[in-house]
Amino acid sequence: MSHAIVLVKQVPDVSKITDNAFDPETGNLMRANLPCVVNELDVQALAFAARMQALQTGSGGRILVLTMGPPAAEEALRFCLARGADQAVLLSDRLLGGADTWATANPLAYAIRRIQRDLLDGSSDVYVVAGMQSVDGDTAQVPAQVAEELQVPCVAYATDVERVDDRLRFTRIISGGRQIVAPLRMPAVITVASYAFPLYPTVARTRWAQRAEVVRWGAADVQARSIGSKGSKTTVIRVFPPPKTSRRCEDARDAAGLARALETSRQVTNAPTARSNRRYVLPRHRADPLDRSFEGLEKQVQAFKDLARILRDRGATDLASIPTDVREQVHGELDASVGKAAVEGMMQNLSQVDPSYRGDVWVVAEEQGGEIHPATFELIGKARDLADSLGVKVGTVLAGSGVADHARPLIEAGADTVHLLDDPRLSPFDPGFHRKVVSAAILRHEPQIVLFAATPQGRVLAPMVSYRCECGLTADCTGLDILDNTRRGEVGILHQTRPALGGNVMATICTRGSRSQMATARPGVMQRLPPDPARTGEVFHEPVDLQEDDRHMEILFTEVGTAHVNFDADVIVSGGRGLGSREAYERLVGDLSGALARRFGVTVERGASRAAVEEGFSDRSHQVGQTGTAVGPKIYVALGISGAIQHMIGVANSQTIVAVNRDPQAPILKQCDYYLVGSVEQIVPEVVRVLEGENP
Amino acid sequence: MTVEPIVPNPDLVVVGAGCAGLAAAIAFKRARPEAHVVVLEKAAGPGFHNLSGAVLEAGPIHALLDIADPNWRDTPAARHVLGQRVRRDDVLFFTDARSVVSLKPALKAARSMGLGFGGLLHDGDLIVSVSQLTAWLSDLATRAGVEVLHGFPVRDVILDENGLATGIRTIDQGLDHERRPQPNFLPGEIVHAGAVVLAEGPLGYATEDFVARGGLVRNNPPVFSVGIKEIVEVPEERYAKFGSGRVMHALGWPLWTPVVGPAMFGGGILYSMGARRIAVGIIIGADWNYHDFIPQDAYARFKEHTLVQRFIAGGTVVEAGAKMIPEGGFHALPRDPETGAIGRKNVVIVGDSAGFVNVNKIKGLHNAIASGLAAGNTVAASLHAPAEIAPIYTRELEAQGVLLEMNGARNVRQTVARLGNLWGLPLSAVTGLFPRISVEPDRAAMTRESYSLKLKRPFDKDAFVAAAKVEHREGQPIHCEVLDPTLCATTCAETFDRPCVKFCPAGVYEVIQGTMKPVNPTNCVHCKTCQNKCPYDNLRWHPLEGGGGPKWEGM
Repeated sequence: MSHAIVLVKQVPDVSKITDNAFDPETGNLMRANLPCVVNELDVQALAFAARMQALQTGSGGRILVLTMGPPAAEEALRFCLARGADQAVLLSDRLLGGADTWATANPLAYAIRRIQRDLLDGSSDVYVVAGMQSVDGDTAQVPAQVAEELQVPCVAYATDVERVDDRLRFTRIISGGRQIVAPLRMPAVITVASYAFPLYPTVARTRWAQRAEVVRWGAADVQARSIGSKGSKTTVIRVFPPPKTSRRCEDARDAAGLARALETSRQVTNAPTARSNRRYVLPRHRADPLDRSFEGLEKQVQAFKDLARILRDRGATDLASIPTDVREQVHGELDASVGKAAVEGMMQNLSQVDPSYRGDVWVVAEEQGGEIHPATFELIGKARDLADSLGVKVGTVLAGSGVADHARPLIEAGADTVHLLDDPRLSPFDPGFHRKVVSAAILRHEPQIVLFAATPQGRVLAPMVSYRCECGLTADCTGLDILDNTRRGEVGILHQTRPALGGNVMATICTRGSRSQMATARPGVMQRLPPDPARTGEVFHEPVDLQEDDRHMEILFTEVGTAHVNFDADVIVSGGRGLGSREAYERLVGDLSGALARRFGVTVERGASRAAVEEGFSDRSHQVGQTGTAVGPKIYVALGISGAIQHMIGVANSQTIVAVNRDPQAPILKQCDYYLVGSVEQIVPEVVRVLEGENP
Repeated sequence: MTVEPIVPNPDLVVVGAGCAGLAAAIAFKRARPEAHVVVLEKAAGPGFHNLSGAVLEAGPIHALLDIADPNWRDTPAARHVLGQRVRRDDVLFFTDARSVVSLKPALKAARSMGLGFGGLLHDGDLIVSVSQLTAWLSDLATRAGVEVLHGFPVRDVILDENGLATGIRTIDQGLDHERRPQPNFLPGEIVHAGAVVLAEGPLGYATEDFVARGGLVRNNPPVFSVGIKEIVEVPEERYAKFGSGRVMHALGWPLWTPVVGPAMFGGGILYSMGARRIAVGIIIGADWNYHDFIPQDAYARFKEHTLVQRFIAGGTVVEAGAKMIPEGGFHALPRDPETGAIGRKNVVIVGDSAGFVNVNKIKGLHNAIASGLAAGNTVAASLHAPAEIAPIYTRELEAQGVLLEMNGARNVRQTVARLGNLWGLPLSAVTGLFPRISVEPDRAAMTRESYSLKLKRPFDKDAFVAAAKVEHREGQPIHCEVLDPTLCATTCAETFDRPCVKFCPAGVYEVIQGTMKPVNPTNCVHCKTCQNKCPYDNLRWHPLEGGGGPKWEGM
């Protein structure tokens, strides 16, 4: 009978975040100002763990909950005790604060080892169960990195569990489909992507939970290797509000209004927003040696302008040795606005012209079912841009079986080198095999930047690889720029910008203490280059060193949608769980698609949310979203789709988003251009009627 | 989970963590610190399901606070929650959308003559948000050692063969739409207790079940008003114009205008809440007879009134909600026919679940707290003689004058119900002289007439629900039970065109392809107007899963 250690996190209630929630100086979230809740996916993970226990025979299996956080996180533990956990461990210490995922996973893994030893009689028959990601960080890195630290299998994105032949089998999400797997060794880490049956508390358990003893450990009790902000490998350098949504969020009022909105949207041709970013130039190539206009913050650029002015006035041309009196003048003029230490740093590092990192810009390519994932090509487009700024090459690494044929398209998309890791064991994807060979290639070639796609596969592989390579990793970046932080002596470094706290803020993050700067980027965010058949590149066959022991899981079943779907259509009509049944999906999505095709004379494709696919309303191949296909039609119509972040990421490139939803609080209503609140059963037939009429 | 944890059974279980229930729990715990008292509340957090005007007489709340925490006066919470004292009090009559007449001189005269209606004057009382007051009391109760547990809807009281309560049972949770158990199904849990206080608010689910099974009798049917309320944040200059510490009650338009206009009982309210916020609301006697009446239509009209606009124009709604107010008064209190007790044996009914609202004053909070205190004290003193608890509690209420006050106001609503506003309101001031005027339940008042001040564009109930911050798990069994769907489809459709679709403040009911259904059950704000007002008594409200419902923080 296995035990379960459930990792939970107390998170701020992201629905209540206001502008004042951040420390303007450090950019840290002032958590004390926000009401806290238990991360929703961790609540689901607890229920999942309870389900796993219930499926097993025998007795004695226990459920422990573990959290790392401030003392107040005890509340989260009691919440779990009231819902079925048997014992709770709170890892809390000032020294642990300010940690990134690296310095979170590390002490958690050490705490897990201690729990096994002290609280579970040294048992290794343990599942570590965690929500796939937290709502505040949204990185999905910690569980995979815990697995890497513990050197145990990681089954990511689980949605269900069953027991066959005395063994637990997990259903997990893969790109465009699902898989049934069993971990090959214990302990094993299971991350839960979605489990719709959270546990209810009982009165008795709730009362007991209030009285129960919580095990409290500090940093010294677990003796972890990397903790707190000091042990972290990434630093937040800037936090800022997200760009105001360009979506109109207009209430269409009635069916006729919605039909009018569709008509208007058809005619709009707003080109994709052109990025006006000036390309980065290395300091040694800048015309003016005093030009420091590529700092991460506008105020730093201004400070350097002021510094350059003084130096020019005083004729201080030798930047390596600025005379003392000039230094004093600079301090006198700039200390008040910039700060003494910063001014000193500026002068000291002004002479630095060499980039801080060396090596190429790499993209870890993703292959599934004989196809390269579209996101790989998008990343190569971005990598090309970064590499050209730095004057280095774009490399790709591709692991799989019989993948040599894919080298050519990667080169045509912009790669200069392709590193192939070809072995029959590398297909289909197994995190244990892949993370080992990809890490080895990275350590061998030492690229300065490594980019992964934030796909279900990339979001497991990247944290494990980065942990193995002891490099910082930033998840789900939407912006990647080369900039300087001259003040700290950093030149030509990767500024990684990503949404955090459920999209309520943007954070720019830099890597530190790492050989390579690593990031994952969301599919559909970066622009791929048009394929260039004339491009040339080098292909290398890398050695593959694998043992059977490295394998993480046995794959028992794989299902990927196969029907031909044309997501390049002008209009996509998608249905969600809110449609209620397959019959309603067929009828409503079908009728509206037909009416739009006839009225506008355009191609229309049907889409579905993940929930709708899970409910069996539609085939997997129609799934739109982060775990399905990222789409960018002229008009995206969402019927009965609540607008979970994973779905909205996948439709972000749509020109116009139109939503019909019964729930006036559905998140999609704040992320669309036109909406109508009401029953789809009522609204869709009316819209169809108007569209089929003479004058919509 | 391996072992079921062992905890001592509570001596007292209180159903509902509103002001009355918490008062009972605090009084009990202070009297018997060694005993265990558990308060079960269906809302997710303290105060989330509590909505009231609220203008509060200071006496009972001070008495409660003194028991809960002798040093309460010096706490920030006291300043925050009780900071607004009534300094200006207007009672107005709106004759139409623009005009106003002050009723204050008449009311002062009434008070000086000792007539009941003078109770409408509020000088010196406190303006409170009952959500905040409840949250504070919940905190004080917890500090006192009361176990206040949120997210636990109660289904019924468990009675033994002698009619003594052995505890309560929570509802089944984790059922799907068709009531099939899901993997997380949790059957109702029995919590054993020495005594039960029912403090669920109006039309309490477990209360009504207990009243029926326990054979309790109300001499008059309970009648209700429906309250619609919003917290509106207004521009600085408008708030300055209204002023702090001000309460305004407006009778007349749009509920009642003499001779030709609509004729409903009730009126609008405007209270200053501090921080540029004004509580705006309307209270409407649920015996309206317009089949197409939408309470929010009257509310929106009230907001359109020139005087109201002067204070709230340019404001934004930060919170919204709806609730019923029990106005049956003295003769609608549920009593044990044998003993006359409000409750039976070791089960007592307090607050709005019993119906202690004084309609003269349009206030019930002070009585709710007083009844809770009486219940808590009685249970603490009489645990050894459980069968005597309810009679002793009722005598205690009599001794404290709660029932006397109720008796004085006993016929207001009934008089108005019988005679209409024109004659009823003035006459109600003197009907204290009559013993009891019987009245019909609210649902009997339905006619085919139309409300003449309907809005041109439908009121945005979706925005209203969003501002109530309502959340429920989708996919749970439909909690609005339609007893006989055929009745809706035939008789009601033909006679009244299904009034529930209109009057439900949350838009739960819709007609889809000819059939009336609770299409949007997860919009429900838990006001239970549907059960009270369906002209055929064809709807039953059942509790939703724990933690669902509105999340009011400033109501």
